[in-house]
Amino acid sequence: MRLNDCDPGFKQEIARQPGGEGIKTCFACAACTARCPVGSLKPEYDPRRLIRLALLGRRQEVLSSPLIWLCCSCQNCSEVCPQDVRCAEVLTAIKNLAAKAGHAPPSGSAMARQLASHGRLLEVGEFENDKRAELGLPPVSEEPGDYQALLGLQPEAPRPAGEEA
Amino acid sequence: MGGCLEEIIFLSALDTPVLIIGGGVAGLAAALELDRRGLPSLLVEKGPRLGGQARGFCCKALEACARCGACRVGDLLQQAAQRPALGALTQALAVNAQRQGAGWEVTLIPQESRQPDTPALALERPLRERLLARTGAVILAVGHQVFEARKKSRLGYGRVPGVMTAGELEEALAKGGLPGQARRLAFIQCVGSRDQALGRLYCSRVCCGFALRLARLARHLEPASQVTFFHMDVQDYGQAWRADLSEMRADLRFIRAIPGEVRPGVGGPLAVFAGPDGQPQEEEFDLVVLATGLEPPVAAPALCEMFGLAPGPHGFLAGGGGVLVAGTAGGPRSITESIEHAAQAAAQAAEYLLAAPASPAGEVAHA
Amino acid sequence: MPKPVLCWTPAPGLEGLEPLALARAVGLELDQGGALEAAVVTVPEALAPDRLRARLLGRPVQWLDLAAELGGGGDGHRHKRAAAALSRAAGRASLGTLPAVYAPQPNQRVLVAGQGLSALAAARQAALLGHPVLLALRGDDPAAAGAGEDTSQVAELAAGLPEGIELAPPTELTNLTGAGGSFSAWLKGPQGALRQRFGAVVLAPGGAWEMEPAPAGLAPDLARPLSACDPASLATAQGWRQVAILAGVGQPATAQGFARALTTALALQDRPGVQVTLLFREALVATPEGERLYRQARQAGVLMARLADGEPRVADDGRTLAWQDQVLAEDLELAPDALFLAEEITAPWPGFLQNNLLWPPLARLLPEHARLDGGRTARAGFYVLGALRGTPAGDDRLAEAAGAVHDLHDLLGGGATPLPAVRHLTCARCLTCVRVCPHGVPEHLEDHIQPAPAACLACGICAAECPAHAIAPPGWSTAELVEGLARGLKAAPSPAMVLMACGQSAMPAFAQLSRQGHVWPAGLLALPLNCAGRVGLELILRVLSLGAEGVLVAGCHDGMCRSITGNLRARLAVGQAAQTLKDLGLRPEAVSFLHMANNQPQALAKAVEAMYARLGAPE
Repeated sequence: MRLNDCDPGFKQEIARQPGGEGIKTCFACAACTARCPVGSLKPEYDPRRLIRLALLGRRQEVLSSPLIWLCCSCQNCSEVCPQDVRCAEVLTAIKNLAAKAGHAPPSGSAMARQLASHGRLLEVGEFENDKRAELGLPPVSEEPGDYQALLGLQPEAPRPAGEEA
Repeated sequence: MGGCLEEIIFLSALDTPVLIIGGGVAGLAAALELDRRGLPSLLVEKGPRLGGQARGFCCKALEACARCGACRVGDLLQQAAQRPALGALTQALAVNAQRQGAGWEVTLIPQESRQPDTPALALERPLRERLLARTGAVILAVGHQVFEARKKSRLGYGRVPGVMTAGELEEALAKGGLPGQARRLAFIQCVGSRDQALGRLYCSRVCCGFALRLARLARHLEPASQVTFFHMDVQDYGQAWRADLSEMRADLRFIRAIPGEVRPGVGGPLAVFAGPDGQPQEEEFDLVVLATGLEPPVAAPALCEMFGLAPGPHGFLAGGGGVLVAGTAGGPRSITESIEHAAQAAAQAAEYLLAAPASPAGEVAHA
Repeated sequence: MPKPVLCWTPAPGLEGLEPLALARAVGLELDQGGALEAAVVTVPEALAPDRLRARLLGRPVQWLDLAAELGGGGDGHRHKRAAAALSRAAGRASLGTLPAVYAPQPNQRVLVAGQGLSALAAARQAALLGHPVLLALRGDDPAAAGAGEDTSQVAELAAGLPEGIELAPPTELTNLTGAGGSFSAWLKGPQGALRQRFGAVVLAPGGAWEMEPAPAGLAPDLARPLSACDPASLATAQGWRQVAILAGVGQPATAQGFARALTTALALQDRPGVQVTLLFREALVATPEGERLYRQARQAGVLMARLADGEPRVADDGRTLAWQDQVLAEDLELAPDALFLAEEITAPWPGFLQNNLLWPPLARLLPEHARLDGGRTARAGFYVLGALRGTPAGDDRLAEAAGAVHDLHDLLGGGATPLPAVRHLTCARCLTCVRVCPHGVPEHLEDHIQPAPAACLACGICAAECPAHAIAPPGWSTAELVEGLARGLKAAPSPAMVLMACGQSAMPAFAQLSRQGHVWPAGLLALPLNCAGRVGLELILRVLSLGAEGVLVAGCHDGMCRSITGNLRARLAVGQAAQTLKDLGLRPEAVSFLHMANNQPQALAKAVEAMYARLGAPE
């Protein structure tokens, strides 16, 4: 791979995302790899490798990689990282960029669509409100409209970009 | 204030051009360097013996000297013993300092201490009563603190049997040999160093050197042993070191990764680290040695307040106003580097006295 | 022969011994405070009461650290050991060696030859201590800094030079002979060459940046030194996008060179549109700000690439670098628009040091030696500072200069330095002493051997090697040692053995064990030496012929000998002695050598035990 063909701005872009700030400080000590529970189940998954690819500016390769979606945000990596990279949050930032670029996995897009159209992922009905009442909690509205307003979404949200692709 | 003054009246007092606080490598070296300049000084040590932490370090020579400098402590003690003008107060703790003209008045109080196994040297005199030292300049040579390995709890220190610090391995080797039947050894570098998360964004400078020398010595003492060296980078210590390093690279297993966890295994501590393929890998060792870094001395904040000093880089001490810093109190340094640093502190103290002839202790210096 | 008396000075560790009984046992009078010809004292000179020291001034004295030689055990056992040690000292004292009171005064002048921080700092400190200093700079400007030095710090030092410094016109040191207290320096200046005498010489040339070698095959126009990089103007003007910096790739880097590469990388990365890739083998961050700088550079966006040996490979076009990424384990390529090679500070060795007739090889003169700090070299009074030694520019150089000046001030102050005694009538002018002395003490002047007044450490290598017994530091001639050992061995219970103990390693360890109550075999006689180099083949064989069953020589580890070759010579002598014994049909294992350091007392105790196990039982 020629570095001249890579995108040096990619790491800066990730770093501008909330949670992505730490990516550039990684010095590849591999403590995160050693502690990653996903890595021990899925051999191809290596957080250090993903960060390295991003640092090298291999935008397409990172954003289209199915591996980035495997991070379960357990924060084991953040705990051991001596450089405060906050690897799990960096991966969230990368996931956001990937979604924007239309690389979200179908299940993810479906959930986003659900959220956009209904303001929530789960239907709230009598069952939930009865349970809440048992616990002495006030009922929540069964209408999603309020949440759409809260989230700043239009009632008729456009389909997330990339869904057509 | 009244009570305080009353106390001071009954203090016994003593004048000295330079007061050196800390009787380790740097303090001893500073006293010797001042003596070579022809300047008397008073060396005070809070513990019962001179020599400091380095006194417990082991010789890392195989047949040839490894240039670790551990035996320089013995050299310094011997040289000090040959200089009748040199004396040291042990079990003396500096608790207060008052500006007095260009100099300082430092209150020393006696410290209780368990008697150590090593017999006292002729130049060691324990402080029995509170003493006021009037001095023209002060050299702080209080040394460093070793990073508390428990703070890196994932590495298992204090929790997993078979995990020890490099300092403990030094001690064991100084006393005669490797602990137990240690055949599979692992060294983990940068424990408490190069760590932004711990607020220790500096390299402790000496660990690569002492850990690799210890590793080589362990291999020498137990030729059947295998040593794995987990590291980020290997620091450079000059030409002769580079020759040694290429031999070590051939003899030891270098892995450029820091383990994320050490947990109890069946026959010893189990290290989890990134393998060459980027997968978490587990390996059992008999002994896992943590190369713990150097931290600012515990007394740093108290000394800063006593002498009105601004904290130095990374929380180590930085001098000013007739207060000089020598050795690891000012930052990570090897034994020989601490000795050289002490020479500089001695020269600066002497220059300070020359520039401040008004102080009574300064006049002593010119006499 | 003077008749020594025993001056019994009580000291910790001597409790329970009967001075009178011991004096009788060794045939000495106990000191009653009257007139005396010679003396054996039970404590080292530094611990003796002032009155005793005054009484003994100018007399032949054997200062014995008896407590360090005794060890533990029952009173009877310790009495026997004390008697043997005192007998040895009495024997040595009876030859009446006088302390060197009339040593010539060392020359007090100091020559500082060089440039920049180290030179100015050394000159300043030496002048403050009252030494007349000749500061021989290479150029016109005293404020000229060496590579990597803080110019304002150097300028400040140059502007504030104290009195007592004579500034020579631009001068080159072309030749140097002699040692501490008496150097002859040939200085070549505008007025031609002239010879001057100095007591100490400090060599501190300012360094220059030297570019590390470019990887093989790189287009020559692409390989530029880091100092040719001006990030502010160049990067934008040239429209660079990809810039590569190689630091410690062609040769090992230092933390100082690496930090400089990081600083440049940071500045370049800050230019719009520029991506910097820093290629290195190890991130050398062992400076106070090194790690912070390394992190800052990453944070700015500098791409860090670790290389393995033999990398980077250069493609046929000479402009593309290739290496394997250590995290991804896949090949990467980079065709940079600009490439810079890191630099390290170097300084040329003066030609005169290559003269192996007058100077030992550099590896012997300036070994990387844990005991030679503060710019010291094997030759006392001669210091090498700064760039020539690889000391990083900055405060480390000030520290080194301070150490050097303290050492030379101490040396030239006299006092501690012995002056070897030369018997000119016996001397065969074979120049063995000139050749073997690691400190350059004996000089052959006007057809006789003249020792430098402030350079001798009394290692005794000259005495061990001189075939004519014509030179020895006072008290260290073979005759004196043998006389002492003869009497000591006579007093030592059988089986008697001798430990020849180096004063830098074995003797401190032996003393420590003794003070801790270690019980030595009754017949073990310690011979404290300043350096194992004093031993020599003759002394070993003489000791065996005097009835010792075994000889253990214990000296420093290789590379730790203060006198550089003393331990090696001693080991060689032991080997020769073993061969001689074998040739004579005797037990070669009667002699052995131990490498040790002063913090390895157990090694010594074990070796003594092993020697007794081997030889102690009757054959």
